[in-house]
Amino acid sequence: MSDIRAGLSSRAAELRHAFDRTFAEPRRTDTPSTEDFLAIRVESEPYAVRLSEIAGLFVDKRITRVPGRVATLLGIAGFRGTIVPVYDLCTLLGYPATEAPRWLVMASAKPVAFMFDAFEGHFRISREGIVPQEADERPRSYVREFVRAEDHIRPIVHLDSVLDAIGKQADEAPL
Amino acid sequence: MIKSWTFGRRLATGFGLAVLILLVIAVVAYRTTDSLIANDALVNHTYQVRTDLADLLSELEGAETGVRGYVITGSDSYLEPYQATLGQIKTTFADVQKLTVDNPNHQRRLATLSPLIDSKLAITKQTIDLRRTQGFDAAAKVVDSTEGKILMDQIRALIAEADHEEADLLVRRDEGATASAQATMAIILYGGLAGIVLIAMIGWFITRSLSTQIGAAVGQVQSSSSELQAAANQQATGAKEQATAMSEITTTISELLATSRQIAESAQRVAQIADQTAGAARAGHGTVDTTKESISGIRQQVDQIVAHMLGLGKKSQEIGAVLDIVLELAEQTNILAINATIEAAGAGEAGKRFAVVADEIRKLADRVGGSAKEIRTLIDDVRSAVNTTVMATETGSKAVDAGSRQFGDVAIAFQQISGLVSTTTEASREIELSTKQQTTAVEQVNVAIANVAQASRETETSSAQTLQTASQLAGLSKELLRMITPQVAA
Repeated sequence: MSDIRAGLSSRAAELRHAFDRTFAEPRRTDTPSTEDFLAIRVESEPYAVRLSEIAGLFVDKRITRVPGRVATLLGIAGFRGTIVPVYDLCTLLGYPATEAPRWLVMASAKPVAFMFDAFEGHFRISREGIVPQEADERPRSYVREFVRAEDHIRPIVHLDSVLDAIGKQADEAPL
Repeated sequence: MIKSWTFGRRLATGFGLAVLILLVIAVVAYRTTDSLIANDALVNHTYQVRTDLADLLSELEGAETGVRGYVITGSDSYLEPYQATLGQIKTTFADVQKLTVDNPNHQRRLATLSPLIDSKLAITKQTIDLRRTQGFDAAAKVVDSTEGKILMDQIRALIAEADHEEADLLVRRDEGATASAQATMAIILYGGLAGIVLIAMIGWFITRSLSTQIGAAVGQVQSSSSELQAAANQQATGAKEQATAMSEITTTISELLATSRQIAESAQRVAQIADQTAGAARAGHGTVDTTKESISGIRQQVDQIVAHMLGLGKKSQEIGAVLDIVLELAEQTNILAINATIEAAGAGEAGKRFAVVADEIRKLADRVGGSAKEIRTLIDDVRSAVNTTVMATETGSKAVDAGSRQFGDVAIAFQQISGLVSTTTEASREIELSTKQQTTAVEQVNVAIANVAQASRETETSSAQTLQTASQLAGLSKELLRMITPQVAA
């Protein structure tokens, strides 16, 4: 019990030190050699999404179902006064549909939101950590690169291609 | 009928018949012998009479001869025979008279002879006196006279007549004696032969009868002796086995005695331990009461622990709820920080400085979220532990209830045990006493068994003697049977 208490105290001291250090360190310059990612999980599979490709992260948004023949379209939702369509990233990536994913990200290129199962966190990694998909590797939908984060090698979901595919589906789908 | 007679009766009858036969023979022989003796006495009597008659005549003639010598010689020496026979003649005459007192002829003849003798003696005396006084001639004259010769002839004639009669009597009595002797010999010979034959027959009959019966009896005795020998042999074997068994029993009894003493000592120790146990049971009874109170206190403490644990669980739930809020806030802060980063990236150069702050806020939110998750884990562990503790405590409470009830039962049982221990103590004392009595009894049994063993050894010895005696008896009966019926014994 005393060990746990001592561990927690040292942890709190470490947090306090780190917090204080942020105010003590000089202003950082631009670090173009790194890139930010969101670590997500789709159908229990780890994926990564470039932070530069999204306009916002949301949770437990109310989705309003709309009739339509596009299976990947879950409905529409309101974001900061804008109504955007919400797609199921799970089915878009080729997995079977799951019940009520909580998390969603809104693409920065187009006002389209994607729902996924779990948000695992944010990580920043140097560009050397991003590797392209090999030619002989099994092709994945909307994945062109991989990033090594912590213990996992995560495929990076290329939202722009996803948006293109959605656009094509919307154009092809009859009203 | 004779077969039913006893040996004594048979022997008495046989010997009685033999005695009767001998008695008859003896009586007859006695009578004939008596007659023979009587005849012999009569013959002797006759010879005595004839001898006395001859002596009388001889004495008379001697006296006459002496007188004649005196007359012739005048010497007194010739008178010595006369004087010697003078008294003898009377004596001899008296003897003859006495011997023939039963014969009237002789008495009559002696009556005639007596004066003749007196006359003759008177003449003789006269002759002697004449020779002495008047000389030879006077005396020769008397001698020469016939008077003396006549007297003497008469005397001779009477004595010869008497002798002749005695000779006749002698002949008759000799014949009677001979007849008696022959009759006696015949009786002795034929009676003896007849007695021998009869006694032999009686003896044969008795011998045969007794031999048959005694032989059968001896045979039975021999058979019985053999059986007795076998029985004595078995008895000796049995006595030996009995002696061996008694020896083993003695050993066993000795071991039993040692064991009884050990049991008595153990019973004494058990009684002491039972006393101590009774004391411990009384002390334990007090301890049980104290423990009963302690269990009641434990039950109350457990109830309080359950209440506190339930309160702790409730507080943990509340902490969990607050922590959910903290997590929610951390998550939302994280989202806001990420969104702020995105927005800052879109704000150009001015947004970069904000992006740094947003990044720090995001990191802080990450850390808060991580800590909140850890706290959540801890809270979950606490709640799980509380639930487990509550369940365990409830189980413990139930166990305490059950234990309390069981302890009540235990207390009752302990009370019963205390009572039973008292009973056990009494029983142990009784066992101790009984065991001591048993030890004493076993000692007595040991002594008795030793006596019996001694008796068995003596019985063994006497059985051996009995066997020896039975063997001797069998041998004797065989010998007796051989003596009675050799052919059977052979």
